[in-house]
Amino acid sequence: MNYSFQFNVVWRNFDALLEGAWLTLQLGVFAFSAGCLIGLVGAACLSFAPRPVRWLVMGFVVFITNTPALIQIYFLYFGLPEFGIRWSNEACVLIGLTLNAGAYLTMILRAGFLSVRSTEMEAGETMGMSLPQRIRYIVVPHIAKSIYPALANFFIVILVMGTSVGAVIGVDELTGQAINLSTVNYRWLEYFTIVALMYVVLTFIASIGLALLGRWAFRVKARIF
Amino acid sequence: MPHLAVNDIHAKYGKLEVLHGIDFDVDRGEVVSLVGPSGSGKSTVLRALVGLTPVTSGSIEVDGTRIDYSAPRAVRAARDRMAIVFQQYNLFQNMNVLRNVTLAPTKVKGRNRKEVEAEGMELLKLVGMDHKAKAFPDELSGGQQQRVAIARALALRPEILLLDEVTSALDPELVNEVLDAIRRLASEGMTMLIVSHEMSFVREVSSKVVFMDNGQVVEAGDPSAIFDGPKSDRARDFFGKVLRG
Ligand SMILES: Nc1ncnc2c1ncn2[C@@H]1O[C@H](COP(=O)(O)OP(=O)(O)OP(=O)(O)O)[C@@H](O)[C@H]1O
Ligand SMILES: [Mg+2]
Repeated sequence: MNYSFQFNVVWRNFDALLEGAWLTLQLGVFAFSAGCLIGLVGAACLSFAPRPVRWLVMGFVVFITNTPALIQIYFLYFGLPEFGIRWSNEACVLIGLTLNAGAYLTMILRAGFLSVRSTEMEAGETMGMSLPQRIRYIVVPHIAKSIYPALANFFIVILVMGTSVGAVIGVDELTGQAINLSTVNYRWLEYFTIVALMYVVLTFIASIGLALLGRWAFRVKARIF
Repeated sequence: MPHLAVNDIHAKYGKLEVLHGIDFDVDRGEVVSLVGPSGSGKSTVLRALVGLTPVTSGSIEVDGTRIDYSAPRAVRAARDRMAIVFQQYNLFQNMNVLRNVTLAPTKVKGRNRKEVEAEGMELLKLVGMDHKAKAFPDELSGGQQQRVAIARALALRPEILLLDEVTSALDPELVNEVLDAIRRLASEGMTMLIVSHEMSFVREVSSKVVFMDNGQVVEAGDPSAIFDGPKSDRARDFFGKVLRG
């Protein structure tokens, strides 16, 4: 191989990459958190709501999980303006990722709802707790503990694979930023080597953060690796 | 007027009717025991009282007022006055012992947290579990969990306490502790309905015994009458077996 790496080009623009990484992290954290809320409502509906509501939620989940995230975001960015709705590229990625995460998390969290001991829910009921209170105090801690690893994995998926979809509609997250910069001086290999490492560092930090959060908040004895 | 009156209640699981008309009264401050073979419907009676298993006909009255189990508000009011301790101690697995006890008083009744915690520690002391206040249910033995469940029910300040087989998982010495606690509660005017297989416990603590078989009340009366001179064959048969064993 005769290629000579010239990393100093990358270092000169490292600030821009850091900004991209920061945006990636923000997109990932926001889409995941908002997706968790949607997923919680969706899973609660699938478990407790009347049939028409369950069908509606199921329809949403089936539609979203069976179409590519890229298409969904294209639809928001290029399709909605036809109907007079115009969002910025960042908003489209954010909303698209959030809906996407919400659909997947509905199914992930539903497994958690199903595994709550019905006897605990009955005990809560006889103690006068309302359904939202039972969800808040019995189901959520149970889910957080029992499927915490699945949730943490899903966060990494969004952080790495989900957010990079933004690049195709010009959002300057980490991948987008790398494409922008390397188009200027053709140092693709250098940029993408560094960016790959930055993703690794990002997921590393996120994993540690999640493991610590799990231990502190939910008594999850999660291993970091 | 009885504190709790159960009038000819029927109840079903799905299509299967398991209570075929149950009648009995519990006076204020009285301890009544439900006894009978496994599967006779004792737990179902308690579940019906707190609105977990729907009653298909008949009525349940507290202080002479019929509870309308189809009205959520009335069910809430009934649950406010009756607390149940389940056969399988249904503690919240994701909370420590003290939090199990304080959750409903703080979140449902909106009482002051500090005050509830202090009272919770007193209740845990009453059942001999104050030293485990910070432990989680999966770190406790069955008997210990059962005692926490009793403390949790008492923290709701019920007028009527429903206890389903609370001594079955306990060591003999712990049975005495719980017995003491129950006696103390009775002397303080707590109305109690107890399901138990422990006949010596039943005889000692209750003022009335209701013998059930196959979803019906076969015989009811004061403990000595029921235990020493059962009138029905089924009761004689049952007590013959359990008292000998
Ligand atoms: N969830 C359920 N679904 C269907 N049938 C049930 C259910 N729970 C109880 N049963 C049936 O209802 C009848 C009464 O049950 P119940 O639990 O009230 O009996 P029990 O007197 O409390 O018995 P044990 O002494 O074993 O606790 C039994 O025939 C039982 O099989
Ligand atoms: Mg039972």
